[in-house]
Amino acid sequence: MPTRHLIIGGGTAGMNAMRTIREEEREPSEITLVSAERPYSRMVLPYYLDRSVAESHVFTATGIQLGQWKVKALLGRRAAALDTKANVCTLDDGTKVEYDDCLIATGSTAVRAPVPGADGRGVHSFWTLDDARAVIDEIKPGSQVVMVGAGFISFTILNSILSLGAKLTIVEVAPRILPRMVDATGGELVEAWLKAHGVAIRANAKLTKIEDAKDRKRLKFASGGDLTADVVIMATGIRNNLEWLKGSGIVIDKGVVVDERLRSNVPNVYAAGDSAQGKDLISGQGAIHAIEPTAQEHGRIAGANMAGKSVAYRGSLIINIVEVCHLDVASFGAWDDGKAEPISGLKKDRNAYRKLLFTGDRMTGAIIIGRSNDIWTTNDVGMLKGLVQTGTPLGRFKEHLRKNPFDIKTAFIAAKTTRTLLPETVLGRPSMAPGDSPVAV
Amino acid sequence: MKVLKLTPERCTGCLRCEIACSYMQTATYQPAKSVIRVSPFEGHTSYAPYTCTQCAEGWCMTACPVGAITINVAGAKDVVDDKCVGCKLCTIACPYGTMFYDTSTRKAFKCNLCGGDPACAHACPTAAIEYADVVTQDWLGDFAAERVTHMLAVNGGR
Repeated sequence: MPTRHLIIGGGTAGMNAMRTIREEEREPSEITLVSAERPYSRMVLPYYLDRSVAESHVFTATGIQLGQWKVKALLGRRAAALDTKANVCTLDDGTKVEYDDCLIATGSTAVRAPVPGADGRGVHSFWTLDDARAVIDEIKPGSQVVMVGAGFISFTILNSILSLGAKLTIVEVAPRILPRMVDATGGELVEAWLKAHGVAIRANAKLTKIEDAKDRKRLKFASGGDLTADVVIMATGIRNNLEWLKGSGIVIDKGVVVDERLRSNVPNVYAAGDSAQGKDLISGQGAIHAIEPTAQEHGRIAGANMAGKSVAYRGSLIINIVEVCHLDVASFGAWDDGKAEPISGLKKDRNAYRKLLFTGDRMTGAIIIGRSNDIWTTNDVGMLKGLVQTGTPLGRFKEHLRKNPFDIKTAFIAAKTTRTLLPETVLGRPSMAPGDSPVAV
Repeated sequence: MKVLKLTPERCTGCLRCEIACSYMQTATYQPAKSVIRVSPFEGHTSYAPYTCTQCAEGWCMTACPVGAITINVAGAKDVVDDKCVGCKLCTIACPYGTMFYDTSTRKAFKCNLCGGDPACAHACPTAAIEYADVVTQDWLGDFAAERVTHMLAVNGGR
């Protein structure tokens, strides 16, 4: 009898797992996908919001493609319980799905600030396709938009909101913007840039209430100073969806605790993406990154192991990049490690900042900010990722960087980072192009 | 697979590769849009071209959330413009720093080996860039290490 794989969640982790199973398996297997939504990419939603792509562009698989992959798709349903002794997953409509192995890839849900009015009309999260549809309907040229939360999610849709002709105010409870993506110096630089581009920013602002004000919304703050808005977007964080695993016997800390093959304590149950507390490449400890690249790599590693290959995972690297009003802001690895030795360079007139964090002579984290029309910034973004990912010993080139923190390319090339990188692959073999995955018959 | 074989000792820094690349890729003579880049070493006394290795992992390709990076007939990773939304994930996923982003088109772009007939190799007058059936190597590492070390010594660096 063919192996029965059950993929729970049709996001990045689940889709990559299915594709990798088809790439790696020797014998045809059965794949069942349970997904609350038709699979789409969250990364595309900002471009759907600014109308640069049609809604159809957001989907990562059509019914035909899933059929070609021989995936039995149960869409619009959620997993409700997992019986790890009987190997049965029960869905919210009572359907029971038997499996030989399964992948928990149920992602995260947006969390709103716990204040009165947070669930009211005209207040949105920006997390799902439905959220995006609702926000598109409401933002008009001249709309006053208030975004609560100055983190990564807000910043991914900032350009889109401005391009729709709306006026934008960002409020943040922390003392500064992007507290989990860049340091204080970087945050100040980005804040000044945004203010110069017409975005109002209010930090240290604790939202206490959202009220209706005729057809508009009024936001109240602990420190006073009401704001009025046509549209309120709550980008106040996300939480992974694991409540349904209660009583399953799966060990959960901040996420499902997994080994280097993405297996939980139950050997035929895997977890990936936001669901999995997988190894962080820099610290070696379990962590929830809640970022697209980690979900993608988790999905591929889990898929390869589910297909019968034994592939150990080195661990994932935190990488984040956003572009706001043509300023690139990116950080990597342990950029906020207080024990690391920082080397930094700031050129305010060029809106450029580099912070390189060293443990010995290896780079273990980095922050880079620069104008996106400066092609060298884009190159340096990649090279910093390469240096942190490989942990290349920089030796005397560390001193070169101390004197010239912007001359990353020279240090990258001269430290022979390319030599380390060339043989590196996630699955121990060259990757296949999308669409080239063979389909088991 | 044929790859771009780089011999930095032969590079004179003439930038013909950048001009040819931008013309082939964008139909403009605009080195700012070249995906092969000549860098100076040793205080502008020597130069070396640097470009995508067409690596086995294809970090850009696996990172792309919309499947917009594929493998073309030359075996090169290639951006499909119609699919690219410009999210920049590839620019941060590529550990070589050889993904580019065009602020006017809002698309990522990269070396695609000109589909099997690379303009940079044609244009190079000193054969510092050759299109050859060899295994990709770290073409620049030794060259750069020696020259940067020299520069550090000249500047009193330790």
